[in-house]
Amino acid sequence: MAERRPPKVIVTKIGFDGHDRGSRVVAAYLRDAGMEVVYTPPWQEIGAVVKLATEEDADVIGVSSLATDHLLVPKLMDALRAAGLEDVQVIVGGIVPPKDERLLLEAGVARVFHPGVALGEIAEAVRMLTRDRRSLLEGTL
Amino acid sequence: MNAPVTPVERIRGGDRRALARAITAVENATQEGAAIRAALAPYLGRAQVTGVTGPPGAGKSTLVNALVKELVARGRKVAVIAVDPSSPVSGGAVLGDRVRMAEMQGHEAVFIRSLAARGHLGGLSRTAAQVVELLDGAGFDDVLVETVGAGQSEVEIAKVAAHRLVVCPPGLGDDVQAIKAGILEIADAFVVNKADLPDATRTERELRAMLALRQNAAPEALPPVLKTVATTGDGVAALADWLAARALQHGRPAPAVPHTAPPASGPAALLARLIARDAYARHLGLELVEAGEGTATVSMRVRPEHINFWDSCHGGAIFSLADTALGLACNSYGSVAALIDSHMTFSVAVKAGERLTARAEEISRSRKLGVYRMEVRRDDGVLVASLTGTVYRTGKPLPNEASTGPAA
Repeated sequence: MAERRPPKVIVTKIGFDGHDRGSRVVAAYLRDAGMEVVYTPPWQEIGAVVKLATEEDADVIGVSSLATDHLLVPKLMDALRAAGLEDVQVIVGGIVPPKDERLLLEAGVARVFHPGVALGEIAEAVRMLTRDRRSLLEGTL
Repeated sequence: MNAPVTPVERIRGGDRRALARAITAVENATQEGAAIRAALAPYLGRAQVTGVTGPPGAGKSTLVNALVKELVARGRKVAVIAVDPSSPVSGGAVLGDRVRMAEMQGHEAVFIRSLAARGHLGGLSRTAAQVVELLDGAGFDDVLVETVGAGQSEVEIAKVAAHRLVVCPPGLGDDVQAIKAGILEIADAFVVNKADLPDATRTERELRAMLALRQNAAPEALPPVLKTVATTGDGVAALADWLAARALQHGRPAPAVPHTAPPASGPAALLARLIARDAYARHLGLELVEAGEGTATVSMRVRPEHINFWDSCHGGAIFSLADTALGLACNSYGSVAALIDSHMTFSVAVKAGERLTARAEEISRSRKLGVYRMEVRRDDGVLVASLTGTVYRTGKPLPNEASTGPAA
């Protein structure tokens, strides 16, 4: 039986906001939950995140947002689709007002996490989304 | 539709996602991964594989970033494997090396993949050698492999890379530290990084002193000690020159016995030194592929700046490539020879991204004159241009090559 690798997760921030405490906390938690985490500093460009996800064959991209950068996520979703990465699951965590949450989910974001969420809940979602993606890709290489 | 269908066709065609997914398959030891490896076998052996190891905090990732930048500027396609340790407790890992390669990771000629060691000891992951093969088969010119922060026993890189750099930051410890076995023994070159720090000279001196204690080694066979400041790029061009010269001598596969610097004598070594000093060749991204008395082969990847107003490679760039091969061939006897007449015929146009190889062969040589023929070909063997050239042989020794043998 082939060894199954742990979920590979990118934890990143796009846009101009540099408040990265949240993304660091989540990255450290996911590592301690046994995942392989590619952590980036804030201020990533969308194209850079797409190239990163391509090269790392990431299962999940977690985008942290404090100051409205979540509004860039629909553009990220478009860019992922344009690069043929529609299977990569995207989650968003941070300050996301309810009307924006709807916008993100409609754009294809899998889950949105709000302040106060249990870290274990994020990890469980990442595991589930990883399973979903891998069964989607089974036999397509 | 004639889109490539098999994974290998897609990988060979430059599909980065197919490559990334194949790496995952190999990491997971799946049957798909094994099948792709087998199908790529005919394409292996072209890439220069360089290992970068050293203790945590030595500046390995920053040095890799600087080296990638230099290699890309020379027209090379570069892949990087960055191995990070997995937690022995949870199995998780934060793959952070590529964060320090941010400057180059967006470049289209660069592919970076992080691998978690997954409990494997030795400085790499269990499948790192197979991932190197995939990247070689995918057509990268260079594969740089960065190990986890290594101590004295993480020497697995010696089996994977043909060229091994051990990065030593200044001020790690006293000189006894430098005599210890392990990674210091597998170095083909030592790189004293952070060479702008006050202790750098001392570290360099201690390394040289340690090397001098080695038994059974001729001085010229000892690994060199190079100094870099990766954050500013100081010394990185010299490191890339050294790698290029070594690659010419020890292409691949990885030699079984380490510690062999490029020989200091013979026409191949002479021509490697000459092209390394040639600013114009560096500017164009030329590389010496093969060398001997009266012959030289030089290659170049056609870059956007070589393109003329009708989207083909400028004829002057192709002439420069052929002329460099000629110049090396006719100077391979150690005396100065200069081109006095040349004729060139172009056969086909060349597009950006293609690799051209020029081979110069000697037709005749007398005391004063030499006649050479050059052919420039694409990777698929198509003849791009052919030239003849006549050189005047001055009989004067080459400058800065006083130790070279007498002019023939």
